[in-house]
Amino acid sequence: MLLPAVLLSAGSTIAAQPTQPAPTPAATADVFRRNADRVVKIQVVETASAAKASIGSGFYVTDRGHIVTNYHVVSELVHAPERYRAEVIDIQGALHPVTVLGVDVVHDLAVLGADLKPSAFFSLDVLAIEQGNRLYALGHPEDLGLSIVEGTYNGLLSHTLHPRIHFTGSLNSGMSGGPTITDDGRVVGINVATSGNQISFLVPVERAAGLLARTLSPAGKAAAPTLEQVGRQLRDYQDVYLRDMFAGKTEMVNLGPFRVVTQPAPFFRCWADATRSEELLYEEVTHICSTDDFLFIAGDHSSGVVEVEHRFLSTKKLGPTRFFSLYASVFDQDETPSGSEEHVTSWKCSTRNVRNATVPMRAVLCLRRYRKLGELYDGVLKVAILGRRDAGLVSMLTLSGVTFENIDMLSRRYMERIAWR
Amino acid sequence: MAVILEVVHPNGTRAWQRLDALPLTVGRGLGNDVILDDPYVDARHARIALDDAGSLTIEDLGTVNGLVANDERTHTPVRLHLGIEIRVGRTTLRFRDTEEAVVPALVDDPTESVPARPMAGALPRAAGAGMGWLSTNGGQLVITGVAVWTVALTAWLGTAERASSVDAMGAALAFITAVAVWAGGWALASRAVMQRFHYSAHVAVASGVALAAIAWNAGGNWLDFFFPDSALITVFVAAGFAGLFGALIAGHLALASTAPRRRRWEMAGIIVGSAFAIGATAAVAVDDEFTDVATFSGVLKPIAPGLVPTATVSEFGGVMRKLKDEVDKTTKE
Repeated sequence: MLLPAVLLSAGSTIAAQPTQPAPTPAATADVFRRNADRVVKIQVVETASAAKASIGSGFYVTDRGHIVTNYHVVSELVHAPERYRAEVIDIQGALHPVTVLGVDVVHDLAVLGADLKPSAFFSLDVLAIEQGNRLYALGHPEDLGLSIVEGTYNGLLSHTLHPRIHFTGSLNSGMSGGPTITDDGRVVGINVATSGNQISFLVPVERAAGLLARTLSPAGKAAAPTLEQVGRQLRDYQDVYLRDMFAGKTEMVNLGPFRVVTQPAPFFRCWADATRSEELLYEEVTHICSTDDFLFIAGDHSSGVVEVEHRFLSTKKLGPTRFFSLYASVFDQDETPSGSEEHVTSWKCSTRNVRNATVPMRAVLCLRRYRKLGELYDGVLKVAILGRRDAGLVSMLTLSGVTFENIDMLSRRYMERIAWR
Repeated sequence: MAVILEVVHPNGTRAWQRLDALPLTVGRGLGNDVILDDPYVDARHARIALDDAGSLTIEDLGTVNGLVANDERTHTPVRLHLGIEIRVGRTTLRFRDTEEAVVPALVDDPTESVPARPMAGALPRAAGAGMGWLSTNGGQLVITGVAVWTVALTAWLGTAERASSVDAMGAALAFITAVAVWAGGWALASRAVMQRFHYSAHVAVASGVALAAIAWNAGGNWLDFFFPDSALITVFVAAGFAGLFGALIAGHLALASTAPRRRRWEMAGIIVGSAFAIGATAAVAVDDEFTDVATFSGVLKPIAPGLVPTATVSEFGGVMRKLKDEVDKTTKE
């Protein structure tokens, strides 16, 4: 099973992990002393109640007060700018109001602007680094004050769609948006998420450099980040990776008499499980492929997950009527993603009996639309293959945060691909 | 001269008896000389005899309702004469002369058919009317047994677990309990209105309708499998259930009221109509509410797929686009 990655925004508390023993305490102290004044605390405040909605970290990237942080630290400002404001607190404890200048929702980054002139800042240069190199993460864990956490660089994750650095070290909530640097003060990545047990993730620095360059360009300066922009980024993102899915050569898996798609792309992870026991009158094999990359959109809304799930049922002991009541009960289960009324509409579903070139099936498409992000939908296609009295396959394609055109195209390809062994 | 006792039963039928051997006892008990099937009559209600002076009298035997002569209730003996009417409960006793003149016979047309008349002397037996098989104990037992068995079978077919017989028995037991309680309520109503519980008949009515509902539900499922998302079929199936509900109410009313059939169905219609109106209002309210749970028609049937009408994948594309338009509409509201 996959480890659930938890974003480091305040509110989600994680038990502190014991840090690795520090080999050279003097060096760590030096790193902290040299870089502490470049890191800030960011807090988002609800205007009406003046209460802190969330806190995170960030760091100066220019001498004109530009700050890089995570999108998820300041997402409230993009979703409800009338209800929230943000401010940064520097190392001296001085408070400065900030505005959001640019966001990259796919890589979970934001550039903020403050009216101040920092004495020092990090430059965002691409650097070569080896697995095992010692890194230092800076940030405000649990709002306890600026802290430094040691860890090691363990390369880029291989199975993700958008690049993530695997950092072995304890990131905690509140450190989101802070920099992780080398001992000579160069930024490697931006703290973003953790799975606990020292498994943490960073956004590579070049993504922040790209966003900063775009934000400071004349076009970027003109456009304040809006929900529309967030929606457009999501649309562009899903278009790129979904375009070729299930087209051309696609990996297939045999489940009983059926043949269905698996591993739609390299960034999917697949696993399978089977329940067989003397006690049961039937067998069930579950085969799931899913992307790890969920996108943070707002506190209670994430998106971007694509999942393929097959549940193969067979029996040697049940008669057709009893087997089909089991089959129907598996098919009838609602496994659609959850959601809240603020972000999505209710689901609507259509059911038909469909036949591709050779295989008859019962097909259901459930659809809902994002309320604020323009032409984006969640779609769940669920099919049950007909034609066998002792075997059945419930197959489900879950697409979240995609355009209807992609749901339509991928659902068709998905159904066309189902075949007899 | 001899005296004839004319008995006018509560339902209007009449019977005649010649008063030869006196005294005669009158009552609901089967040991009486004149047996009255009238719930307002005591088991031993009255005695008809010659008094000391040799006159014919009727004497109350200490009953709740006594005798009514000349519209007055009395518990003392009443001297009888020809033409007098005595009310006993809701039955009228008339004393008439054998020599009384009668009007001449009518001339009959032999081609005219003779209507069948209901049997005289029966209780208000609304139960029997139109439910022939239900009024026999055997019929009631069979229908109840078949319903219990069907419920158990449906439960057994609906589970894929090894211990499915337990599920089947549990379902049967739950069904029996529910029917017993439901029929009990109606039986009490029957007792209040008709002086009879008719318990087994009420059980049979409920069982029969339940059986029909199970069959209708199964049929609806098959229709849904063949023609998913059809509003016409949804309405058709719902109308069927409404009809069955109406039949249930009307069936019970047949045992618990003297209302004519037409009136019973009207009452059932009003009850079903109100229930549906409430249900529909609630459904509309729920439909407007946000939910992140998807509902769809997930019925699957083990039937040769060649017999099932199917769409092509590209036709399903059209279905998807229509669905998109519907979803888009909800965001505009």
